[in-house]
Amino acid sequence: MFLAPFLILFTLFVLYPAIQSVPLAFEQTYGPGERVRVGTRNFAYLVEDPLFWRAVRNTAAYTLGTLVLQLPLAFALALALNARRLRGRAVYRLIFFSPQLMGIVFASILSGLVFEKRSGLVNRALAGVTGNHDLLAIAWLQEHVMATLVIISIWLYAGFNMVYFLAALQSVDPELLEASEIDGAGPVARLRHVVIPSIRPVATVVVVLAMLGSLQLFELPYVLLDGGGGPNNQGLTVVMYLYQSGFRFGDLGYASAIGWALAIPLIVLGLIQMKQLAPERVGS
Amino acid sequence: MSSPRGARAIGALRHGALVPIAGVILTPMVWMLVSSLKSREDYFSGLFLPSGTGPFGIGWDKLTLDNYRTLIEVGFARPLVNSTLYASMSSLLATVFCAAAGYALAMYRFRGRRTVTAVVFGALVVPPTLLIAPTYGLLHDLGLLDTVPGLVAPSIVPAFGVFLFRQAVVQSVPRELIEAARIDGCSEVRIFFVIVFPLLRPMTGAFMLITFMAMWNNFLSPQIVLQSAEKQPLSVAIMQLQGVYKTDYGVLMAATVVSVAPVSVLFLLLQREFIQGLSRGATKG
Amino acid sequence: MNAPGVWFMLVRTVSNGIRAILLVFVMSVLIVLAARGEREDAVEMWIFSPEHHALYQAHIDRHDLGSADPPLRVSILSIEGIQSRVLGGVYGGLESADLIEVERAISGPLFLAPEGSVGLRNLRPILEREGLLERFNAPSLSPWARGDRLYGIPHDVHPVLLAYRADIVEAHGIDLSGATTWERFFELMRPVMRDEDADGTPDRYPLAFWYTQKHNLELLLLQGDGRLFDEDGRPTLDEAPNPELLARIVSWCLGPDRVVVDIDEFSASGHMSRIRGDAVAYLCPDWMCSIWRSNTPQLGGKLRLMPLPAFEEGGRRTSVRGGTMLCFPEGSDRFDEAWSYAKELYTSPELARELYRTADIITPVTSLWDDPVYDEPDPFFMGQAKGRMYIDMAPRVPKRASSPYYDRAVEAVRDAATNLAGWARGSGTRDRDALAERASVLLARAQRRIEREMERRVIADTGGAP
Repeated sequence: MFLAPFLILFTLFVLYPAIQSVPLAFEQTYGPGERVRVGTRNFAYLVEDPLFWRAVRNTAAYTLGTLVLQLPLAFALALALNARRLRGRAVYRLIFFSPQLMGIVFASILSGLVFEKRSGLVNRALAGVTGNHDLLAIAWLQEHVMATLVIISIWLYAGFNMVYFLAALQSVDPELLEASEIDGAGPVARLRHVVIPSIRPVATVVVVLAMLGSLQLFELPYVLLDGGGGPNNQGLTVVMYLYQSGFRFGDLGYASAIGWALAIPLIVLGLIQMKQLAPERVGS
Repeated sequence: MSSPRGARAIGALRHGALVPIAGVILTPMVWMLVSSLKSREDYFSGLFLPSGTGPFGIGWDKLTLDNYRTLIEVGFARPLVNSTLYASMSSLLATVFCAAAGYALAMYRFRGRRTVTAVVFGALVVPPTLLIAPTYGLLHDLGLLDTVPGLVAPSIVPAFGVFLFRQAVVQSVPRELIEAARIDGCSEVRIFFVIVFPLLRPMTGAFMLITFMAMWNNFLSPQIVLQSAEKQPLSVAIMQLQGVYKTDYGVLMAATVVSVAPVSVLFLLLQREFIQGLSRGATKG
Repeated sequence: MNAPGVWFMLVRTVSNGIRAILLVFVMSVLIVLAARGEREDAVEMWIFSPEHHALYQAHIDRHDLGSADPPLRVSILSIEGIQSRVLGGVYGGLESADLIEVERAISGPLFLAPEGSVGLRNLRPILEREGLLERFNAPSLSPWARGDRLYGIPHDVHPVLLAYRADIVEAHGIDLSGATTWERFFELMRPVMRDEDADGTPDRYPLAFWYTQKHNLELLLLQGDGRLFDEDGRPTLDEAPNPELLARIVSWCLGPDRVVVDIDEFSASGHMSRIRGDAVAYLCPDWMCSIWRSNTPQLGGKLRLMPLPAFEEGGRRTSVRGGTMLCFPEGSDRFDEAWSYAKELYTSPELARELYRTADIITPVTSLWDDPVYDEPDPFFMGQAKGRMYIDMAPRVPKRASSPYYDRAVEAVRDAATNLAGWARGSGTRDRDALAERASVLLARAQRRIEREMERRVIADTGGAP
């Protein structure tokens, strides 16, 4: 009885579309009304579609930025906040987390204004600090789209991921730390041999979640670039291409094919995450 | 390092690094707030506050609420109400549905329980991206395009909600309590609402906040599902505002402030539960 | 405990945040219910331009159309919003407006529909029946026609002139009256490129343009008789004269001979560049005049207009950029009323005059061209009768194809231009013939890309090709 309402909607809006996405990927449509079966044609075209590959490259670059810049920074912030006695930790945590409160669409609108040439905060601050007025002309949103996206994502998500890391760090057994300190281990050694192993499960989940999010990047570039891929499609992402194909050109079939191409790595990541959560599942 | 002086020095160093970072993180938001109070002419005068003749060389008298007035004139109040409706509706329903399902899966023994659990947990790995196109087709066939149920219904049955609530029930609802209540003749519905629900309080708070923010910030679904102008939420409305008032930066800033403020207030109210839930979820991993 | 008691208990046990959510839920439901009025029985019109909105609203107020039966209601949406709603109407069968102004940039997907389901009404029969067809400037119909069907009536012509900073030109003692070709123009403009502040780069460039600006690239290709599609809708990206044109245009952006500068067209930074005069001349379709007027009022009285320099002596001295049509979704059940409003808005001499006065846009209705308003001197443009200048160009604007792949083709050409510039920089090539040869390789690649995309389409687009 408690389960029934959930199950009905779940079957309708999750299971059924998930199953539907398979046959749909082998069709071509014009809106949901007109459909034609096209066999494997969608996938055949996909592997040689230059726009798709551009989207894949952009998305991969963004994900890489998340992995090598944003997450390490989040971890560093967490380490810095994890001092035994740090005054104002809660305040810092709230401040670092606060960009997340803006929500991605609104943060994108703000970012668009912040990264404007000439009028934007970034260039005006750069020019003001260095006294070099040529810096006003840096065309973030026209020429350095992916770099700008990565910078924004650091601002937006580093604090969010920090909260996870911090929670994990705070649950590291203090006795273990003390024991290794008595053994004469320096801070770096302690980090490597005690801290990292004990937060590995959480860290894995954070990394996987961040990758899941990065690979599905859509709103940020979409809003920032006025609903398109930007100049030369520098900011076209896989999900944006899916959206364009399905809802601008009305081909839900091709959109589904793109969805499946993206789903495979996502499902693999999801399974890794499940594995991390699994011990608890078995336990209950 | 163990000497108090050394510790203090390190502490100062930490603050020395953390304060600038905090400053950089906050700056865009402060800029947004200040810029929303500047007129179109003053947008360029002064990086933050407009320059003028007032104290500190700042034109305090140049600050204006005109941008907010413009927002009201262009009908920005309606999307604000819509966003509030969709987000609160979605978070309330999702919480009730997921809590009930999680409770059922954790507490009741019935045939097919293992299958249902496996299917729901399996759905955790299905990326939402994959569902976009087929869901549109489904809503079209059901005649739910451009309706509130069409927007909200797909959002209230997230598999991870059931997962979270099932864990929470296992952890914090003692089976004996339920049995005792049954013996006292409590109906199952009352047991759930009166006994179980309060016990799940931290989880409920965190989950409601997450679902509320997810719907508030949702852009793709309303963009695809909704048609009528009077049904658009803030996320879509602000994007359209950007299209129409391309160079009126102050108005866009004001719109962003209006869109962000309610969620921030809600977050501050639920902050404790949220951080607790998040941390607990993380450490239990 | 009764049911309300349970609710009371629940509300008491939950935290403030949840109470807040409950509260705003109840409040927003009440507001939405209160605001839900009866759907008004009106002719609904969607437009994207705030200027048009002001114009139509004034007309509606003047003629009391707001309380006519049925009344006309005009709402303003972003282009993006119009696109997603027009498509929502076509794909999802949702209700859209009775009259919609659609910008060229978003019309492509509509023409991707199989013949019968474009979702817009074919207006050719009624235009012919009422003898209206000949009253429109012929080339201005081309972007909205597919085969012998016509899916919208044009709102504009959008011919292009060259706007230049007369103050700067005069200060350098330049006389542009001999600038009949681009070559001649750049030569005459040499003096403005002097590096007087000695920072190693020219202080100003003759023309604002960059090969990454796809609309301006398209504009110049069209001016030089380049075509992206033939009459049957087949792509012609790599056919003459495109490669040679592209090579010439890209060469403007290269190396020490560079004569153009990249200036944002719609951002604050671009407006500031224009005020400083980073470029002296600008490709200026009629609608751009009002953008100048409202964003750079400082330039009033400093600008002059002239016909575009041609690519060859005697060649076309104008082009076209942008365009809007008024279309009628097939789902609308009040076509007759919508049609009569449309005629009123699109053929009224009064509104055409207002459109020119407020938005600088000339009407595509040829019979209205003798209106004296177009001969009024415009102080912003140093007293030139700029309306007349644009109208003189109107019959000569190039035709454009309505192919659903048009936008993709323009982007493919822009990508080819970008590659060409990169190649030229990398190899140091400046030779026009070598560039043209390379351009033709790159355009052939772009051509294949578009062809492949068209071949993929199974749901037939039989409007053009047989």
